[in-house]
Amino acid sequence: METNSAVLRVKVGPLAGPLLTRVVAMMLARAECPVDRLDDAMVICDALAAHASEHTQDGQVEFTVLTQTGRMELRVGSLAAEGARRLADATALPGVGNVLEPIADDVRIEASPHGDNDELVLELDFLQAPDRGRAGAPQA
Amino acid sequence: MPDIELALPARAENIAIVRHAFGALGEAYEVNEQMLSDLRLAVTEACTNVVVHAYPDGREGPLEVQATLSGERLTVIVRDEGEGITPRPDSPGLGLGLPLIASLADTVQLGRDEEGRTEVRMGFSLHRWNGSEPAGARP
Repeated sequence: METNSAVLRVKVGPLAGPLLTRVVAMMLARAECPVDRLDDAMVICDALAAHASEHTQDGQVEFTVLTQTGRMELRVGSLAAEGARRLADATALPGVGNVLEPIADDVRIEASPHGDNDELVLELDFLQAPDRGRAGAPQA
Repeated sequence: MPDIELALPARAENIAIVRHAFGALGEAYEVNEQMLSDLRLAVTEACTNVVVHAYPDGREGPLEVQATLSGERLTVIVRDEGEGITPRPDSPGLGLGLPLIASLADTVQLGRDEEGRTEVRMGFSLHRWNGSEPAGARP
């Protein structure tokens, strides 16, 4: 199973969103991600990049992308204390609620492996079509 | 503090990720298309050198790209933890990578950083092709 990883550390500002979406899109394309889940991933990236600036500890945010065939893990780090929780909460839309949880297969907060503040971790599975009435995702 | 730091395994498929990522500069800032094209080509060549030359015998190592925007000047550093830039008689390439980088970037420096990692440091003037129009953030 092919695996790949990227660590993107970017200063908050106009570059964060375009950079994150481009890196994630390229990595998902190689991980055989179907188009509908790619679209979901872009929504997640846009939401995270839009709100991360309010929750960093030093004006930079670190995205760690891990992919293997059928799966992606996205970790958001270099956040302020309680930043992971606040970032997840910040993605809520009026009348819609949190946009991360319905799209990602798992959203959780974990201790940073570097000993920093907690990280926001999202997982996206796309090998097995989930029960969301999606079309186009290949069956395992 | 750099604006962008991207670290990936030095594999051929990851060169395309770096190249695509640098297109983000064109989304975020008013950068001339020709300038952006030159920048992406130079960065691609530097990354290709890492993948082809830095880790012989199938060894895998990191490919790190760092970009810092300072006014209208962009400095891009491509780093690896390989054996350094040396003449290679058995090179599988045409040996045009570094001359091409030199012709595309305004400045090029080859060397090692304080941690002994090999680096290619490229400088670009973001409005080299823009006349007097400054490179500002898109509205």
